[in-house]
Amino acid sequence: MAPPVQSQRLPPPSQPSGKGEVGELKTQLRQLAGSRAPGAEDLKRELYKKVISYMTIGIDVSSLFSEMVMCSATSDIVLKKMCYLYVGNYAKVHPDLALLTINFLQKDCQDEDPMIRGLALRSLCSLRVKNLVEYLVGPLRTGLQDSNSYVRTVAAIGALKLYHISPSTCIDSDFPVALKALMMHDPDAKVVASCLSSLQEILTLEGSASEEASKERELLLSKPVIYFLLNRIREFSEWAQCLVLDLVSKYVPSESSEIFDIMNLLEDRLQHANSAVVLATINVFLHLTISMADVHQQVYERIKAPLLTLVGSGSSEQSYAVLSHLHLLVMRAPILFSSDYKHFYCRYSDPSYVKKLKLEMLTAVANESNTYEIVTELSEYAANVDVLIARESIRAVGKIALQQYDVNAIVDRLLQFLEMEKDYVTAETLVLVKDLLRKYPQWSQDCIAVVGNVSSKNVEEPKAKAALVWMLGEYSQDMLDAPYILESLIDSWDEEDSAEVRLHLLTAVTKCFFKRPPETQKALGAALAAGLADAHQDVHDRALFYYRLLQHDVSVAERVINPPKQAVSVFADTQSSEVKDRIFDEFNSLSVIYQEPSYMFIDKEHRGPFEFSEDIGALASGASPDNSVLPSQRVEASDNDLLLSASEKEDNRGTATNGSLSYSAPDYNGSSTALVSHSPSSTVNTAAVSGAPPTASISQPIIEIDDLLGLGPVMTTTPTPALKLNSKTVLDPATFQRKWGQLPIALTQDYSLTAQGVASLTSPQVLLRHMQGHLIQCIASGGQPPNFKFFFFAQNSEAPSGAGFFLVECLVNTSSSKAHVKVKADEARLSQDFAVLFQSALEKFGVS
Amino acid sequence: MIHLFREVMLEKQWMGQQVDRSICVWFWEQAFPARDSYKVPSVIASPAHYLLHIVREGITFLACTQYEMSPLLGIEFLCRVANVLSDYLGGLNEDLIKDNFVIVYQLLDEMMDSGFPLTTEPNILKEMITPPNIVSRMLSVVTGGSSTVNNILPGATSSNVPWRASDLKHVNNEVYVDLVEEIDATVNRDGFLVKCEVYGEVHVNSRLSGVPELTLSFSNPSILNDIRFHPCVRFRPWEAHQVLSFVPPDGAFKLMSYRVKKLKNTPIYVRPQLSSDAGVCQVNILVGMRNDPGKPIDSIALKFTFPQSVVSSDLTANHGSVDVLTHKACTWSIGRIPKDKAPCLTGTLTLESGQDCLREFPTILVGFKIMGVAMSGLKIDKLDLQNLGYRPYKGFRALTQAACYEIRI
Repeated sequence: MAPPVQSQRLPPPSQPSGKGEVGELKTQLRQLAGSRAPGAEDLKRELYKKVISYMTIGIDVSSLFSEMVMCSATSDIVLKKMCYLYVGNYAKVHPDLALLTINFLQKDCQDEDPMIRGLALRSLCSLRVKNLVEYLVGPLRTGLQDSNSYVRTVAAIGALKLYHISPSTCIDSDFPVALKALMMHDPDAKVVASCLSSLQEILTLEGSASEEASKERELLLSKPVIYFLLNRIREFSEWAQCLVLDLVSKYVPSESSEIFDIMNLLEDRLQHANSAVVLATINVFLHLTISMADVHQQVYERIKAPLLTLVGSGSSEQSYAVLSHLHLLVMRAPILFSSDYKHFYCRYSDPSYVKKLKLEMLTAVANESNTYEIVTELSEYAANVDVLIARESIRAVGKIALQQYDVNAIVDRLLQFLEMEKDYVTAETLVLVKDLLRKYPQWSQDCIAVVGNVSSKNVEEPKAKAALVWMLGEYSQDMLDAPYILESLIDSWDEEDSAEVRLHLLTAVTKCFFKRPPETQKALGAALAAGLADAHQDVHDRALFYYRLLQHDVSVAERVINPPKQAVSVFADTQSSEVKDRIFDEFNSLSVIYQEPSYMFIDKEHRGPFEFSEDIGALASGASPDNSVLPSQRVEASDNDLLLSASEKEDNRGTATNGSLSYSAPDYNGSSTALVSHSPSSTVNTAAVSGAPPTASISQPIIEIDDLLGLGPVMTTTPTPALKLNSKTVLDPATFQRKWGQLPIALTQDYSLTAQGVASLTSPQVLLRHMQGHLIQCIASGGQPPNFKFFFFAQNSEAPSGAGFFLVECLVNTSSSKAHVKVKADEARLSQDFAVLFQSALEKFGVS
Repeated sequence: MIHLFREVMLEKQWMGQQVDRSICVWFWEQAFPARDSYKVPSVIASPAHYLLHIVREGITFLACTQYEMSPLLGIEFLCRVANVLSDYLGGLNEDLIKDNFVIVYQLLDEMMDSGFPLTTEPNILKEMITPPNIVSRMLSVVTGGSSTVNNILPGATSSNVPWRASDLKHVNNEVYVDLVEEIDATVNRDGFLVKCEVYGEVHVNSRLSGVPELTLSFSNPSILNDIRFHPCVRFRPWEAHQVLSFVPPDGAFKLMSYRVKKLKNTPIYVRPQLSSDAGVCQVNILVGMRNDPGKPIDSIALKFTFPQSVVSSDLTANHGSVDVLTHKACTWSIGRIPKDKAPCLTGTLTLESGQDCLREFPTILVGFKIMGVAMSGLKIDKLDLQNLGYRPYKGFRALTQAACYEIRI
């Protein structure tokens, strides 16, 4: 996800004696070079061993190159192997010296012993020196026709290596054709497999450039080839089987009888000892049947047992990988796994990342028949020593409750959790009870009774505290001492660190006020006063807004702040179903484990040509039609653009420099037209309020406070130091890349886009221009609908040049109307302010 | 590329682009905060690469890739590398690997090329590269000739039975079949057996000359739930008659693995009782045999970790020994259950001040071993050998042990 960081070469570990010993080795090797004395071979071997072990621990022994090569004229195969190893390691660094080795390697390629022929050929191909490729072609060609299968295997892979060094030489020498012929006719399965793997890779890479190659690649997926390979599948080694199965999963059969033939043929692969083979087979099955709903279902049934066995057996690493795949399937078809829920019970010895996956699956498979058992099991985890898992399991219980099974019993359990009197259990449970109440208001009586007993002093975590406060506000009519609890919380306003809790306090006390005015009036006054004096922008604004609203008309205020609420039917899912389908298409790949489709994390150069790049340099040049433009020039150009647009948007800048502006001017019906509506995971009523954010006119005259609130003194506000962005900032891509690699993520946020925004986002340039108008520069962008990716940066105007940068990665998906934003900042404390600016800039996009 | 034991012990690059060693530094930074790498998921993403790793005997095997790939292919391959290395070197530790760099390099060279796994069958590898055993070392000393590599290329690389060399000769012809079963069971807080499964493996150690045809049958194959076979097993006979027919590789190998679901009983029971009052927790754990498996149950041991809130403990047992380590791990080794009394662990746990009763509960892990019995009830009916001109010795064994038998208090 992050742009690739250029790895810095580490200095080799300093070995004080290293230098001297290398010199010593050098003289010794030199003496031995011509020696034919008996025992010289053994001496050589000892010396070679030393050299190799130095090389392994990281001492640079490349200075011995010529001596090593001189000594390599030997008949001893072990010496040869060590020499090959050495040469392979250092040839790239010393291309001129590598030439020395060509001669003896070529000679070895004609050795009688097939083993030596093969090894020499392999080493020859591993030299990876570009100007030596001419010496490669001949031995490779003879190697492909060698009488021994070992040599042919090596040669087939060698062709691929040649392609990596010099694609044109490989293609011009017709190696792909030779490989294909060999693949279809060689009697040895190993040769066939290595031909296939080389051919596949060459054609894929070449396919993006030449049409012929992509046609060839299509041919690999044709019926004769696939059938040929499938019929021999049992002869292949397990790894080659994976390769073939992978190929088959891309094959599209022409009729359904073919599908069944293939599945019958491959069914026994599900019982293979190698988990990679099993997974590859499952992948084939799933892909073949995806359009046949009933068969697809049967496939699930069939693959269930092997998968569950794989999870149970094998090493913990394997079981994690398999479990991730199982997780995906369970999420797709929970019903099919509902009777196997016991397999997802956590074991004490499972690492927590495995437990977490299992908990998610338990949540997913819960239904009428097994909820009781699952919840019983989960409740046991809540008392677990592992705090993280205890929390997760409480959350899982809550999620199951939200799925509407057996709510009655679950509510009881949750309330029991509250009685456990453990901080984190209470905290998690409070958050859950709040969510439950939003969905099932009918349970309020039971819950309130218990929640009322929870002392607010025991609740420390902001989220839980916020939940508690929300409940106090929402159900203040049923909770006798609600106003007094709130009051005591307001008394300790200054000690409350979390802005979220303070926001909730404001709302809760106001709601309480509507229901029980006489008891709450004093608390409300105190809360508003404290809120107005609050340094946090949102808290201050909300206090001011409530205050004005109350001043205007109390009944209107009630309608706005405490409208009758509808029970929430479904809580938003974090991952869109489209993304889930993408992951499913990439079954048996890393995507499944990351739970993200590969386009979100794989680099461009390792992907197909159609997906966008992560490489900033490439992106910058890709964004401009002329590829020869250097990234830095590109940045200058956009800088000029910026100057223009900035002067055009004088007004905008006027407000932006206005001192305390961090919101854009809101419009009351804005929530529907804005491109971006920020959706924090807070409660419904805060969302209702934030739909009408207060204006940012803090610089206006001092505010009069209504006597109704019993507040005499006049409140003044201290404007928070809001962020101003530098209008003439410059950052070159290399610095950006370096900074991106170094800085931690300060902030991650998701925004959702509305129709106007999506409609105007036809190419990355549109948004890019727009953001420049808001002093946020784009350093790189790319992508095609529906996925766009941008790297933005901006600079704090008060920071010296070269500091105070904000770096942003923004992923926009127009089909799901989501924008995922990651902010990194030199000054992390300002990142929140910056995010607000960024959001307001995004909001205007597509609307204005 | 592999990397071992905090310092890089050894690396091997198979692909064109060199991967810098700094990736390992990055990896350790990730692994270090988690204290032991066991807690890092086996697949993680670094800024530039995707890392797969496994840990064996304190050595980390790390592979990295920039491409999308099947994660299991990578993990499975790393496991195989670890197995082959420990097979070759007779164990896995830093010294062994450092002493045998050359062998390790040779092995890695044969096992993978250009990112594509080649030969991973130990038998074939052994023909290509002689293991560093005493015999070969002696030979090299005596003859002074080349030792670690055979000059002839193994015939098996091109034979139809890729796991077996073509002409093997043994002085003593023998074959051993071992049933090894592991019980996974979970007993919940109310004393119910929540889950009980047996995972079993059939290990065969074959030292037979020529190309033998083996047929192994079970008397009750129907109890097996899910089965996985070594590549040498033919599927047709199994599907038709539930008979394992195969040409074995030479030496020890895992013929098949299976799972038996829904066992009703475990051989031993553990009854823990905890009651806490005023900062002191009374512990009473009773262990006994449930249904006699017919053979003695050995090396029974109970392990559990005290919750954080326990400050000190005073535990005694009427049989076996109790060890409490500094990090609050308690082990009660019972050994065999005596005939005359039921082993019982009693004592008190003192809780930290301010805590009246225990709120976090430990989980007891139970270990035991039963020789001569397969708990699932699986029985080997007979083993037939064909295609032989001699009468080999046949041996059968069975073993059941607890793998993850846990009792929640």
